[in-house]
Amino acid sequence: MSALQNLAVLCGAALLAGCASVSPDGLRGDVAALTAGRTSVVPQAALPATDPAARAQAQQSIESWLAQPLTQDAAVRIALLNNPGLQARLAALGVSDAERVQAITLPNPHLSLGRFTNSHEREIERTLAFSLLDLLTMPWRAARENERLQIATLQAAQDVVQLAADTRRAWLRAVAAEQLAAAHERMADAADAGTELARRMVRVGNWSRLQLAREQAVLQEARSQLARARLAANTEREQLNRRLGVWGLHAQYRLATPLPPLPASPLPADGIEATALRERLDVQAARRQLDTQATRQGWSRAGAVFDDIGLAYSRNTSTDRDGGHRDTTRGWELELPLPLFDWGGAARTRAQAEVEQAAAQLQDTAVRARSEVRSAWLTYRTALDLARQQKSEVVPLRQFIADETTLRYNGMLASVWDMLAEARNSTQAVANAIEAQRDFWLAETDLQLALTGTSPGALQGLPPGAATTTKSQGH
Amino acid sequence: MNRRNFFSGAATAVAAASVSRVALAALPEPATQASADTAPPLHPPTGRPYNPVVTLNGWTAPWRMNAGVKEFHLVAEPVVREVAPGFMVNMWGYNGQSPGPTIEVVEGDRVRIFVTNRLPEHTTIHWHGQRLPNGMDGVGGLNQPAIPAGKTFVYEFEARRPGTFMYHPHADEMVQMAMGMMGLWITHPKGQHPQIAKVQRDYAFLLNAFDVEPGSMTPKVNTMLDHNIWCWNSRVFPAISPLVARQGDRVRIRVGNLTMTNHPIHIHGHEFEVTGTDGGPVPKSARWPEVTTDVAVGQMRQIDFIADELGDWALHCHKSHHTMGAMGHDVPTMIGVDHRGLVGKIQKIVPDYMVMGERGMADMGAMEMPLPDNTFPMMTGTGQFGPVEMGGMFTSFKVRADQPAGDYRDPGDFKHPAGTVAYEWQGTPAATPRPARTDAPGTAPGAANARKPPTSGHQH
Repeated sequence: MSALQNLAVLCGAALLAGCASVSPDGLRGDVAALTAGRTSVVPQAALPATDPAARAQAQQSIESWLAQPLTQDAAVRIALLNNPGLQARLAALGVSDAERVQAITLPNPHLSLGRFTNSHEREIERTLAFSLLDLLTMPWRAARENERLQIATLQAAQDVVQLAADTRRAWLRAVAAEQLAAAHERMADAADAGTELARRMVRVGNWSRLQLAREQAVLQEARSQLARARLAANTEREQLNRRLGVWGLHAQYRLATPLPPLPASPLPADGIEATALRERLDVQAARRQLDTQATRQGWSRAGAVFDDIGLAYSRNTSTDRDGGHRDTTRGWELELPLPLFDWGGAARTRAQAEVEQAAAQLQDTAVRARSEVRSAWLTYRTALDLARQQKSEVVPLRQFIADETTLRYNGMLASVWDMLAEARNSTQAVANAIEAQRDFWLAETDLQLALTGTSPGALQGLPPGAATTTKSQGH
Repeated sequence: MNRRNFFSGAATAVAAASVSRVALAALPEPATQASADTAPPLHPPTGRPYNPVVTLNGWTAPWRMNAGVKEFHLVAEPVVREVAPGFMVNMWGYNGQSPGPTIEVVEGDRVRIFVTNRLPEHTTIHWHGQRLPNGMDGVGGLNQPAIPAGKTFVYEFEARRPGTFMYHPHADEMVQMAMGMMGLWITHPKGQHPQIAKVQRDYAFLLNAFDVEPGSMTPKVNTMLDHNIWCWNSRVFPAISPLVARQGDRVRIRVGNLTMTNHPIHIHGHEFEVTGTDGGPVPKSARWPEVTTDVAVGQMRQIDFIADELGDWALHCHKSHHTMGAMGHDVPTMIGVDHRGLVGKIQKIVPDYMVMGERGMADMGAMEMPLPDNTFPMMTGTGQFGPVEMGGMFTSFKVRADQPAGDYRDPGDFKHPAGTVAYEWQGTPAATPRPARTDAPGTAPGAANARKPPTSGHQH
């Protein structure tokens, strides 16, 4: 029985080594730890819990956030709690966890029982077979599965970080679009007043229909721009709704305005590449991937040659049917594949290639991270300069021009239409400033993502400026 | 009134950076004038006697006698002219002002004029209307080389005939005249002249016009006709001094035109005769009574009359746009346009908006609205009964019974004898005037209805 005892000891050790148990929170705690400080404006956002009480509480928080004008902070918090896509992603992580546990749990030993009779003998075979290789490779496999799960956790964390960034972008776009629509409304109002006055000019014979038509053309242009601006506001809001995972009554929130003010001083460019390499989750995942492949290489050496090693203990009893004499045979049986054809060379080559692949991928990720963070910083810096220029130079200039035109109107040196055209121009400058401010915060989001989170995807750069000024007749 | 800048000897010479002291020692001191006020007449301290003129918002150049020759020194230079209080214009002028000082001489005087050029470009002076040697006529290139920047040239000739003349450049003249380079020249008759009466008041001014963009300071020299600052001696109403006279004075007004359009100069309450042009005195047989005389471009007119009607009489150019300050020539007419319901809408977009022009432009005279910096308002003159609604080529001619001889000070508002001012009729109230608004062209109140009465549909 000592052999059986030995086996029991071995099994116990293997169980301990595997320490295979499913994470009770579906690894959400790990994800939360990884995303801390990486979810845009929110330093530490809650993730959907598995516990029903916590879910109910989260739902309450969501309701209260939606009852207030929606800030970007609240938007990110709601999205992380409420976005169904993210919930699916986190559930998938739980699935991975279960798979891991399943993978490193020792396979159940096989018990085979056989009862054979012949004319004079009855034979009962009992064999307890156990795959030895599984046991032998357990530490490697456990490590590998852990690595894999960590990679999966890192990827889930990247998805969380991406969702936070996407939500913030959607909030910025929605708020800016709403403000732009308001600006276009003012511009359309100015054009409307000009056209109505022009119509009255024609009615009393001071103007020709041609002059009226010019003002009407200005109005039509302003109205079409207003329609586009309103559609854009709606579209951007729907984008935000999708991130927030809201519909129906929940989608009737108000947006907090205006956009956050520009920062007094920009982030310094020093050490941003080092920060990205240290902090970025995709770089960490690629590094893990390399580690995993390296571990797997060691394991594959053993596993490749001995595809499976079977260990079986059998206790066969044969009973003489006539004499009742029982004969018991006990013994070990070891089943080994013979490495005659497959000496494991292909498997080793594959493992080697996979390590090289992982190494190259790590390098690629690192190079991309460096480049992305440089590019994101430059876009961020330029966007800040442009937004500041628009806000502190262009808008005051346009306002000055509008004020001076009013002074000229006072002196009967300029017409009402000149004044209204300049009012439209100064509103357009305000609209351009809003766009520039939005573009800065979008660039800031990209930079934060590139610095600490993950790849921001295709960096957009800045849209081309579209500052057109309008002129009116009656100069 | 400002009386200064007479010769004070070489010791107080204002040294010109570009003219050496040695050279200056031989030159008469150039007198300069800092004020745009009307200087009192300069009674001749030396030379032949004459009855001096009063240059409206200007002054007369002092001279020195040098071996029987009257020597003047004109310095062509950039100046800042006060066209109206608070409204300064960068000009080119002479001796600190535009127009330059009036040169007054007597028929037969030998005159030597030193002209120093402190402009950034060359110049000349043409002595408009004078009989003189061809080489002294001042057309650059034709009669003389232009005076280079920093140099002094000398003109010398005899003032051969009495009359009203002027001087101005004949080198890059389009620019130099648009910048205000000009001045008056009066040659008084020697003794009694059969065609020239003795007068108690003798006023002189030039008509000039500038195009100054509202809010700027320098005239646009390329403007040909669309000027917005209409001046007498580079001054605009209400900043032009009034002309004053004692009742019964014989008054002479000399007007020269250096703008690019004609100006019908009109006086109220009196009739006058044109007694001279830049061609000389008009024979008495050729004179006829007028209340308006058109002063064509490049011409001078001398009108004489007796100031026998007491009061404050308008004296102005009869082109109505010329009695206005800066205005936008392309601003559409708003008269009669109904603004109801729109004012609030526009004020939401332009908070400082106020309706103007709906009833005409008189609002401009009454409303004091902020204007761009350094912009001369369209019409800001006021009289004792309210806004005069003018600005530009307008002033008043004030006749008083007790105005002392030789006193040119503004006597203030005229005190009308009782019952001599137009008054409101106190009878049955007239119908309330309907607003100027019209509903459609041709349907103004009282307009003839030339349309067929509307039929009430087809009823065949």
